[in-house]
Amino acid sequence: MTATIEAPASQPIADMETDSLIGNFPEGQRLVGSQCNACGCTMIGSRVVCSSCISRDVSRVALPSTGVLYSFTRIHVGAEGIRPLGYVDLDNGVRTLADIHEGDIPLRPDMRVELDVKDDWFFAPAASDKREV
Amino acid sequence: MGDNVFVISAAMIPFGKYRTSSYVGLAVSPLIDAIRNAGIEKSDVDAVYVGHSYGGMMTGQRICKEIGLGTVPTVNVDNACSSGATAVHEAWQAISQGLIDVAVVIGVEKLTQFGGGTLPLSPEDREVKQGIIMPAVYAMRATRYLHDTEATPEDLALVSVKARKHGALNPFAQFRKEITVEEVLNARPIADPLTLPMCCPTGDGAAVVILASERARKRFESKPAIRVAASVLHSGHVAEGFRDMTKPEITYDSARDAYALAGIGPKDLDMIELHDAFSIAELIYYEALGLAEPGHAVDLLRDGKTTFGGDVVVNPSGGLLAKGHPVGASGVAQIAEAFWQLTDQAGARQIDDARWAMTHVTGGGTAGLDHGACTIHIFEAA
Ligand SMILES: [Zn+2]
Repeated sequence: MTATIEAPASQPIADMETDSLIGNFPEGQRLVGSQCNACGCTMIGSRVVCSSCISRDVSRVALPSTGVLYSFTRIHVGAEGIRPLGYVDLDNGVRTLADIHEGDIPLRPDMRVELDVKDDWFFAPAASDKREV
Repeated sequence: MGDNVFVISAAMIPFGKYRTSSYVGLAVSPLIDAIRNAGIEKSDVDAVYVGHSYGGMMTGQRICKEIGLGTVPTVNVDNACSSGATAVHEAWQAISQGLIDVAVVIGVEKLTQFGGGTLPLSPEDREVKQGIIMPAVYAMRATRYLHDTEATPEDLALVSVKARKHGALNPFAQFRKEITVEEVLNARPIADPLTLPMCCPTGDGAAVVILASERARKRFESKPAIRVAASVLHSGHVAEGFRDMTKPEITYDSARDAYALAGIGPKDLDMIELHDAFSIAELIYYEALGLAEPGHAVDLLRDGKTTFGGDVVVNPSGGLLAKGHPVGASGVAQIAEAFWQLTDQAGARQIDDARWAMTHVTGGGTAGLDHGACTIHIFEAA
């Protein structure tokens, strides 16, 4: 028999082990992101493949704690009462869905928001935005 | 381009809540009626395509065996709300490539199995884990659209008013009573700024169309038919960062390709059945389909250009807002409406001298995508 080349087995990704979006970093609790070391693309969550260049050389990074509220809604259906939810464009350009806490000033698109962590994580109007009122 | 493809028959049950009917029970009657209306025999059918999202394994085969329609390939298609239209697209591809002559397409869904509430979405999705629901996606679209344009909550209500007005004329619609702007605005809030009548109702439904090649159509030529001028299917593309939710790229791209295939433009259309799952969608899609410049959809709506007597009747059936949205069935039902309108079988809601029709259905809430799928068809009276 001549030497044969054996096809390597592809391996499944254990993505269910790492689905928390919030994590501990030197700068504190931050949203977990992934940065591609090949093309620089930054993504939300613990990812193992870059959605831009399909490189598997991806590092876990802390995402910025501040950003801009792109849009929001208050969900009235479901068990949790009225729940404000929005899309936040973080300062590095990554978009995340997030619970939004309302406080004293009404929510509006394009307002500055920042991450806060109590029992759970959420975004709230940023201090700089509060001073405008 | 391939061979000409025609829709030669359509049938459907009125959309509604049929708690005592299974997927089989919903679909068998329109399946039989569509075959009879086409004037064909079971043995003329070369393939069956079945769109559904929540029917479980072998939904198509379970339905077809009840009438002894077997042997031929049966393909079950899941593309969320675009499932039925994707099934039609697959049938169109096979016929236009000359592989087969006659295809039966079934769209069917039984949403009453979930006991009410919003559509179940995949628990594997990142944003679904965070609590996203489809009304919230469209509500955020609406918030941003109202922020960016002159549109008001009254305009969102006006879409529902138009849908209910059209639905009142349609015996296939779930809601058959007219409603006022005040009633819409004062209704129960679902996800701000959307109230209950700005959201399509869930329900059950089944619709069937039969597609045939030119050669086959000549065999059954006494029957009315419409020509498929374009059939386009696109998938969503991921954005890790900014996406303008008021300019859904998947619909813009699909519309561009559909107009190119059909060789017509938006001004040629006499009717459109578009994916008005929530009232904001209709405004955004006027722009994506080229009926209005970005930010100016409300002008068409307020001026009555998109209702009977206007330039193009949008959702003459009442759309999803009045008809209901049994997801796998909706895309096929839109095509049934186009078939009836272009063959003068639409009764009280008949559009005069309708020649060109478009159907548009998107599907799926998935993190990072505008939508999972978008299917657009253009039809010409034959
Ligand atoms: Zn990369």
